[in-house]
Amino acid sequence: MIVVDVILNGLMLGGLYALFGLGLSLIFGVMKIANIAHGEFAIGGAFLAIAAAIFLGAPLWLAVIGALILSFVIGFGLQLVLVNRVMGDDPVPALLMTFGLSIIIQNLLVELFGADNRSLDIGPLATAGIDLGPVSIGVFPLILFVVAIALFAALHWMLHHTKAGRNIRATSDDPDMVGMMGMERAHIFAIVMGVSAALAALAGIMLAMRGSITPFSGAERLLIAFEVIVIGGLGSIWGSLLGGLALGLVHVIALRLDPSSGPLYGHLLLLAILLLRPEGLAGRKAQR
Amino acid sequence: MLEVTGLSKSFGALTVVDDVSVTVKGGEALGVMGPNGAGKSTFFDLLTGVTPSDAGRVMLDGEDISALSVEARVVAGIARAFQIPKQFASLTVREHLHLAATAGARVSASEARRLTEELLDRTGLSALADTPGGKLRLLDRKRLEFAKALATQPKLVLLDEISGGLTESEVHALVDIVRALKTPDLAIIWIEHIAHALSESCDRIMMLNLGQKVIEDTPSVVTADPQVRALYLGEATDA
Repeated sequence: MIVVDVILNGLMLGGLYALFGLGLSLIFGVMKIANIAHGEFAIGGAFLAIAAAIFLGAPLWLAVIGALILSFVIGFGLQLVLVNRVMGDDPVPALLMTFGLSIIIQNLLVELFGADNRSLDIGPLATAGIDLGPVSIGVFPLILFVVAIALFAALHWMLHHTKAGRNIRATSDDPDMVGMMGMERAHIFAIVMGVSAALAALAGIMLAMRGSITPFSGAERLLIAFEVIVIGGLGSIWGSLLGGLALGLVHVIALRLDPSSGPLYGHLLLLAILLLRPEGLAGRKAQR
Repeated sequence: MLEVTGLSKSFGALTVVDDVSVTVKGGEALGVMGPNGAGKSTFFDLLTGVTPSDAGRVMLDGEDISALSVEARVVAGIARAFQIPKQFASLTVREHLHLAATAGARVSASEARRLTEELLDRTGLSALADTPGGKLRLLDRKRLEFAKALATQPKLVLLDEISGGLTESEVHALVDIVRALKTPDLAIIWIEHIAHALSESCDRIMMLNLGQKVIEDTPSVVTADPQVRALYLGEATDA
């Protein structure tokens, strides 16, 4: 029964990992750039919720919703005002811009909140469990997993059944042609960055509910997000889910077998994927 | 409809479009000919704003659009169909037209749907409405290219060597389509190598060489012009 227990826990951790990868995958798929500030967007979003809940005394649900909306606005604004200026054929300036943003956000968080561990208190939910005969699973990890899956489905639906989603897919296919049809791709980029920032913030918030974070937690989340999207397949939404679940499973299994291994086996999984299936689990072979 | 004055563009020491002035009225079709490197495509790039011009003015329907961005010029009413049709691989034919109508013509979603269905019908694409752009055959992609351009509700349509890759009979079909496009509130400019296609569909033909306008007159005068014949025979032996 240990096997079932490990698999369930791996999948549930994988749901959180997948959520970290989702926003990054969206950015990469549409704008063809890597957002180095993705981890800081996640941690910054969590600190927004912590600030609202602890310092302003807002109820938890309100703090979370407020943080998500504010994260969207910040992502949207940063793309519109800053990153769009350096978007072009060369991805390096945008990469450096987001690298700069990540440093600024991290230092801002240290300045405002100090370097201590912080978490979002979810009360008795944190320890509640469901007994399933031989195994028991935590209620909160299960909620987290369901939310992650629901968000993947919601994003998929948005991309295929709304006007904004259609515009985003068109921009992903060919940003130059979008301009020739009279659409400002800068606005599409801003919307995508906003959505990505909100998704990252939600992942960060769930991390802060599950354990604790510091202003320096972003880099490690960025690494996980990168591993998720490379393992799953670059730019593929459902690939990120697969990648996240695979990475979560490997982490939990490895920690059970070799408790001192840390993230080592996750990195080895990445290496194996790069060697054996560089297009990722769900990726197609590179075209052209 | 379109009034171009003194349009020029140089890349370094090379003048690619040299002081070109031309007027196209609504309902009129202007053919543009010239050897490779004559500046025909750059001329279109200047009209659409893809390349900024060094000098000159572009007026569309009485409005100076010389300083507008590519996107704003589409909204102002310039549409371009390319020799190699471009489409979004993952969007269906219907989504292409709906996007072009909402983004380029700035009409409401319901009006865009009406326009989309009308154009699907007019361009013979109804049966393929739910096919993704990446899965179309060449002739259907050309049709989509046309439909996309029309969906932005243009005042000026630029046709960029659209007969490329088509058979002789398909070129005839294309000529018929272009003739059918001629309505009083639409101006057409067609760049093409096939002289008879232009003669059959255009009111006037402009000949460019080394970025300069050599002649602009009715098709019969232009095709009889000795200078034009020399340029085109030269091109024929090159090719």
